[in-house]
Amino acid sequence: MLEEIKSTSLAGEDKLPKYRDHEERILKGNYAAAEAARLCRVGFIPAYPITPQTTIVERLSEMVANGELDATYINMDSEHSVFAAAMGAALGGERVFTATAGQGLFYAHEVLQAISHFRLPMVVCNVGRPSIPWNIWSDQSDSLSQRDTGWIQYYGESAQEVLDTIIQSYMLSEKLNIPVMAVLDAFYQSHTSENIWVPSQKLVDAFLPPRKAGAMHIDLEHPKAFGGLVPPEHYYKFSYNAWKDARKVEALSTEIAARFARYFGRQYSNVEAVNIGPHTRLVLVTVSTITTTARGVVRNYPDVGLLKLRLFRPFPKTGVLEALRALPDDAVLANVERNFLGDAEGAIQQEMKRALFGARNLRMLDFYAGVGGKDVPPETIEKIIYQAKNDPRDISWADVD
Amino acid sequence: MSPTQEFLIKDEKVYSGALSCRGCAWSLLARHLSSILGDNTVYVVPACCFSIISGPYPLNGLKGNIVHTVFAGASATATGVRAALDRQGKADTTVVVLAGDGGTFDIGLQALSGAAARGENILYVVNNNGAYMNTGIQTSTATPYGAVTTTNPGGGYKRTWPKDLMGIIAAHNLPYAATCSLAYLDDLRRKVRKAADTRGFRLLMVDGPCPPGHKTDPALSISIARLAVETKLFPLFEIERQRYTLNYIPDKEVPVTECLKYQGRFKHLFNEENGYILEEIQEHADHYWRQLQTKAELSWNGKEKEKT
Ligand SMILES: Cc1ncc(C[n+]2csc(CCOP(=O)(O)OP(=O)(O)O)c2C)c(N)n1
Ligand code: SF4
Ligand SMILES: [Mg+2]
Repeated sequence: MLEEIKSTSLAGEDKLPKYRDHEERILKGNYAAAEAARLCRVGFIPAYPITPQTTIVERLSEMVANGELDATYINMDSEHSVFAAAMGAALGGERVFTATAGQGLFYAHEVLQAISHFRLPMVVCNVGRPSIPWNIWSDQSDSLSQRDTGWIQYYGESAQEVLDTIIQSYMLSEKLNIPVMAVLDAFYQSHTSENIWVPSQKLVDAFLPPRKAGAMHIDLEHPKAFGGLVPPEHYYKFSYNAWKDARKVEALSTEIAARFARYFGRQYSNVEAVNIGPHTRLVLVTVSTITTTARGVVRNYPDVGLLKLRLFRPFPKTGVLEALRALPDDAVLANVERNFLGDAEGAIQQEMKRALFGARNLRMLDFYAGVGGKDVPPETIEKIIYQAKNDPRDISWADVD
Repeated sequence: MSPTQEFLIKDEKVYSGALSCRGCAWSLLARHLSSILGDNTVYVVPACCFSIISGPYPLNGLKGNIVHTVFAGASATATGVRAALDRQGKADTTVVVLAGDGGTFDIGLQALSGAAARGENILYVVNNNGAYMNTGIQTSTATPYGAVTTTNPGGGYKRTWPKDLMGIIAAHNLPYAATCSLAYLDDLRRKVRKAADTRGFRLLMVDGPCPPGHKTDPALSISIARLAVETKLFPLFEIERQRYTLNYIPDKEVPVTECLKYQGRFKHLFNEENGYILEEIQEHADHYWRQLQTKAELSWNGKEKEKT
């Protein structure tokens, strides 16, 4: 049975892969996210609009209205309420989806904490944009500032990856009872059309079983109190359990991605190494769409490699060390940031240093590149490479310095 | 109202050992509510004294599911719980929010307004004790004019009038909203039943005695609650789709001072130089009552609604 619906990548007439039980469509990133939510048969969608997330919730509303998706869709009064409602429905046993961005995510901060501490599974898309002063362009300061809320975070490079990651995320989230944030880049991804392979419902159903009730589930026959005052000894124990489960994320994410590849034919890893070997002198560390630009650039530099981070929280330390294994100790890492969190170093460099501490003593250079939606064209990547090789400084603003 | 046995709790749904102060409204209110609403009920509780009273983990003081949630999010969390239950064919399960005045008049007002305007099938019960009691009696927008709290930068007592929550709620065109007093249990229990039997968003506001917060003798909680109704400081009324019904008309005029004098939070008002404040409070209560009377008259085409 599984063999029958198993999808494989077939080499077609041209070089593009083709996948069985998929439909090829041209979709913007936001619509790909909405398709993923539909395919995962989400039951509850609380919504509140914010640019550039809007087309996700608009499309979902349309799907519910025309019967493509059997979900309860509610226009809430704020993102705080969106997440508070998400929490209620997840406790009620529903598979929950919503999407937000920037101010919306900041506004929901309190409830993000509550959801992860309640150990509720759900998947939420965040379309990254920074804080007021008003700016709607691509920036990851919103989600990266929420990296310590106990949510799992993935950053997608392409719309296809976002769609596929959402499907995998429900499985991961429901296995561990940890919520997942799937992050898209504003406009470069949310509003840019790509060729997308949309899997059939049959294929997704075979991969992703319906959500099963866990311990945090309102059971009318066996009433419980959820989330009341927890004394220190118990809180400590709860946190210990959450920590134990957080430590399973990296390996389980890999396992789920492998299973996904068997069903859908597309391979994903928590971190991806491009051209990293004994010959590599410099590695650019990137997340999301900047990766695509960097991929193109490094092709022209035989001694420059690329490390893409797809899973960001919990930080995939094992994967990063593995990816850098063949890299000589005198090579340099250049972290490319699309965030500014008020500290000297950006979030990527902070995390990379933590991951490598005690294991590798590689020189790291931090490059603020795409903050506030500033475009990161190939020229900026080239500038980074040039500077890293010829004038290495600990921290620089790629297009200022 | 003729005396009945209706105020008796026949089916106790609250375990003994509540963690409230003596004379607290929360415990008595929870007992009456739960005895009427029964087992098929999910309670959603934002931060308030009841979050503590209902018992720390792993205890549950109520024989029902309690979902504790963030302070501002009770109505939203209840919306999610409601949606989940409805999707699973449990539309007959009652979803109840139990919130304080701070969680209702202030931080939870937006979520409350949203849920009310959407017509969520939720029963919202607010225990109005007129301050943030759980955190130590700080001023809320429900705090009465003239009351002392622990945060009165304006000079020792509150110098603004409390919000008219029932007016705000009425403007949402709810199928049912009412004020209730623990001193009038027949009326309270009838209203809980009526609210439980109504579909849509319903709100009950209960006058909440709080001895430490009001600086009162715990033994007088119910007597003071009765005086609040008798003095028209806390009139008992119902609103059905903006139509008002007065449920209790005191047969004699009792001045507000009769209720205020038992409460230490108003003690300073009885100093001679503050006499004018007492007059203002009397005037405000009289005016609010006249407004209610007028609304009640207009509501049912000039005829007072038949008493239910
Ligand atoms: C966002 C947030 N701000 C502040 C608090 C602190 N807090 C907890 S309970 C409470 C007072 C609640 O007052 P009220 O709603 O009137 O209920 P009561 O304690 O009087 O029963 C406050 C301020 C909180 N829990 N969450
Ligand atoms: S402080 Fe007031 S509201 Fe809180 S438990 Fe004590 S009496 Fe009840
Ligand atoms: Mg209060």
